[in-house]
Amino acid sequence: MAQSGAKAADLSREPPGEQKPSPSSRQNEEDLGYNLYPERGSRLKKSTVEESLFTFKHKCQLMLQFAMDTSPYAKLLLGAMKSSGCTVFKDRHFSCEDCDGTVSGGFDAATSQIVLCQNNIHQQAHMNRVVTHELIHAFDHCRAQVDWFSNYRHLACSEIRAANLSGDCSFINEFSRFNFGLRKHHQECVRGRALRSILAVRRVSREEAERVVDEVFDSCFNDHAPFGRIPHSKKDAKFAHRDFENRDRYYANL
Amino acid sequence: MAGSQAQWRPPRSCDIYCSELKHCKSLRNRFHEYYTYGRAPDCQQWKQDYQNCKDWEKNHSTQAKESLQESERKRLADQRKFTPVWELRQKPPSDWHLPLNQGKPQDP
Repeated sequence: MAQSGAKAADLSREPPGEQKPSPSSRQNEEDLGYNLYPERGSRLKKSTVEESLFTFKHKCQLMLQFAMDTSPYAKLLLGAMKSSGCTVFKDRHFSCEDCDGTVSGGFDAATSQIVLCQNNIHQQAHMNRVVTHELIHAFDHCRAQVDWFSNYRHLACSEIRAANLSGDCSFINEFSRFNFGLRKHHQECVRGRALRSILAVRRVSREEAERVVDEVFDSCFNDHAPFGRIPHSKKDAKFAHRDFENRDRYYANL
Repeated sequence: MAGSQAQWRPPRSCDIYCSELKHCKSLRNRFHEYYTYGRAPDCQQWKQDYQNCKDWEKNHSTQAKESLQESERKRLADQRKFTPVWELRQKPPSDWHLPLNQGKPQDP
């Protein structure tokens, strides 16, 4: 599973979402990060009224709906995915679950589902960011032949894009993590979070992970699809969404 | 052809060029450009595009139309200046819409 930013040792309050590779009988589930999402194996468990009332599931679902309705980041991604033939249905493609540690979310390519960690997301702003981050992974899965499980370059690329375009590395978020940087700090943050995401879900050395991130960084940092720009703020995202809504006129008059 | 020229309109409305220009010059955007790229933003192109858009609205000038088209094509080309790491799909993943099958073993 590819996660965005879950690390056991990470003291950050907002670990990036991670992606999950599909489980395989030939591979250890732990090798692919599934151990961080204990509920993924227990699909046969039906949700009960008690579960809804006494867990965070209901709150998670409410925040998810609000994010899908109001976040310009999410609305743009949902629109772009629909155009690409991957219409997202909340009940089919999102799942609120309890997760291990400090993981916020993940994308499970095997089931085409975005996992939201209901026990670790408690604020709407955080939910908005996790939804955006995971939708970027889902968008990449939809439009490209991404080999989540055995191609580390692909994994790194999607993590770089998700950290870059979701607001994970905004100045304010970095500041709140006590990462004080200014000039070109955004790139450092993107690099660092992509690296940590890979290390969290794959058994690979730090040196190897750094090498892979370095290899693909320039290409993936400059791939801003479907935004057309790096959306640093809600206003950027609104402008990008506006461009997306007007794309027919745009391309017809080029 | 006169017919197609009459139907052409700028790729973006002039209001949008104006708002992009203002946004580009804003303090917040200047901060973000520095935070990301370590430099000041270049807003000159938005300014020219806005002027050409207004020129087109007023005079239907061919030069304004061509300048706008060239500017937007360059903007698009700049967005694609990277070698993709992966291959794009011809169609979406076949299992995207399949219902979740709870009993079935997952495929790798």
